[in-house]
Amino acid sequence: MTIALHSVGFGLVTASIIALAAVGLTLQFGVTNYINFAYGDFMTLGAYLTWTLDSAFNLPIWLSLALAAVLTSVAALVVSQVLLEPFARRHKQLLFILIVTFALSLILSNAILAIWGGDYHEYNVGLETPLSIGPLLLTPQDLGIILLAALSMLGVHLLLTRTNVGKAMRAISDDKNLASVTGIATEQIVALVWIISGLLAGLSGGVLALDVVSFDPNLGVRFLFVIFAAVILGGIGRPYGAMLGALVIGLAVEVSVVVIPAAYKLDVAFVILVVVLLLRPQGLLAVAGKA
Amino acid sequence: MPYDLNYYLANLVVYFLIYCALTLGLNVSFGMAGVLDFSFITFMATGAYFAGVTALGPATAASELHYILGLNLPFPVDLVIGATAAGVLGLLVGLLAIRRLRSDYLAIVLVAVWTIAWSLANNLTGLFDGTSGLIGVPQPLEPQLNVNPNDYVFVFIPIALVVIAVLFVVSYCIENSPFGRALRAVREDQDVAAAFGKQTTRLRLTAMVIGSVYAGVAGVLTIEFLTAMNPNAWAIVETVIVFSALIVGGRGNIFGAILGALVVRILIIEGTGLIPPIPGHEELVSAFRNIFIGIVVIAVLYFRPEGMLPERRRRYFEAVRRWPRRAAGEQQGG
Repeated sequence: MTIALHSVGFGLVTASIIALAAVGLTLQFGVTNYINFAYGDFMTLGAYLTWTLDSAFNLPIWLSLALAAVLTSVAALVVSQVLLEPFARRHKQLLFILIVTFALSLILSNAILAIWGGDYHEYNVGLETPLSIGPLLLTPQDLGIILLAALSMLGVHLLLTRTNVGKAMRAISDDKNLASVTGIATEQIVALVWIISGLLAGLSGGVLALDVVSFDPNLGVRFLFVIFAAVILGGIGRPYGAMLGALVIGLAVEVSVVVIPAAYKLDVAFVILVVVLLLRPQGLLAVAGKA
Repeated sequence: MPYDLNYYLANLVVYFLIYCALTLGLNVSFGMAGVLDFSFITFMATGAYFAGVTALGPATAASELHYILGLNLPFPVDLVIGATAAGVLGLLVGLLAIRRLRSDYLAIVLVAVWTIAWSLANNLTGLFDGTSGLIGVPQPLEPQLNVNPNDYVFVFIPIALVVIAVLFVVSYCIENSPFGRALRAVREDQDVAAAFGKQTTRLRLTAMVIGSVYAGVAGVLTIEFLTAMNPNAWAIVETVIVFSALIVGGRGNIFGAILGALVVRILIIEGTGLIPPIPGHEELVSAFRNIFIGIVVIAVLYFRPEGMLPERRRRYFEAVRRWPRRAAGEQQGG
């Protein structure tokens, strides 16, 4: 029972990491209508940039994380404006742009390999003593991750509901042409969404590396399908669905450790992904139409 | 020619032939049918591992190797078993994914399939010896012929040549058959193809299984030639590289598939292999090579998406000329 309760605590941490990543991925899908298969590599980039700021420049870990996320979002903005958006405008076929993001993953992962090498890296943070919070057992770092995710989700919520920019994002997500003819500057809004998507990818990659302790250039790619599972569970392109999906997948993955070996815990996300795709491919929260 | 150069060139021929199996296979599933098979390299690995454990003897405690089966069966039984295993996995994955999913969901599931297969192969050491992989797989006909290991490559070339020739002829027949035409129709527009009475799901599934079998054959040849295979050989980037080869060469065109194998596998990969590694940074050359391949495939897709050898555009009257009686029958029968 104690193990189960502790795993709920770990589940909240994992859910926080997935939520950061899943919301970033799903917001971008909402306005561009194609999946970014290089998203995992943007996460890895966030982790390595955090490592450089933390270890080489000796900055505090949370400041490193924030700066690395900003740098990752700059990278996402450049890649989207130089490569992905021009490509999507020229070639309308979905297959093409999916292969381009897949090839972009090859480029980014090898650029990371060339810059930082293939060895395992670790942040310069000591081991922390877990604190008992009610029935849960969490380190201050774990609490930091949960807090970061909660604040980010609140930020996304306020952006989408309280600002004109957020309303424009939702309008583009519903119908890009309609949004365009009503005078919304779609290209600028899409660029802004890429910035937010990169920011969230950088943050989630940074805290993922903090959570798994030691990481290599495959960090994000290996985690990518877990994020897909959360995104699809919530209905692709739907940020609130992605948050719910992240919570379900995060808890399911960590609580499964009670019954199966920990090496296979991420495979639980695969089972959920397949079951959702077969039974309810539009996702839990989806409405008819945009599936 | 000096002996070393001969040996080197002979090895290049083998690598090229094996890669042709990969690009020809992807040409059926992706090139003709438009299935975005992002787990393609998984089927290569399946063929390789199953052929390996068919050809190897039983795992003994003394060897400190762990794997299933160990049937000690000769070539070409292992080829058949490896190709069948890859086809069966392709069928299972296809049944799961192709039945109801649109192409981007399908691609997600296929990436996930690779991730799961890769993590299982690494973690379940009892299957195919985990991260170290299979080693010491017997080479085809090697015990019977008893040739010098340095000359073995010249025995292997004819074997590979026969296998690839069969795959090529099958591809050629598919491309020019009603089945191939139906695959292209499904690729261009599933709804229209369905409206004309084509069973789109079954067609895409069949194409994916054929592609998987081809990949399996490539895997069998790889492990039988190199005598070893571990999970590093089928990282997800390998799938991107096969896609790149097919796209650069010309998807939907079997000669394009072969040209792509030549350009990407031999010119780019083996060509950059000649660059001496930088001491202390051994991974740099291959990293820059992969970046280059990624840039090339994106550039080709942007500027010339049909590739170096474009798919031949078919016309109705061409079919009438070639099969006048059948075309007449179609017009009368509707």
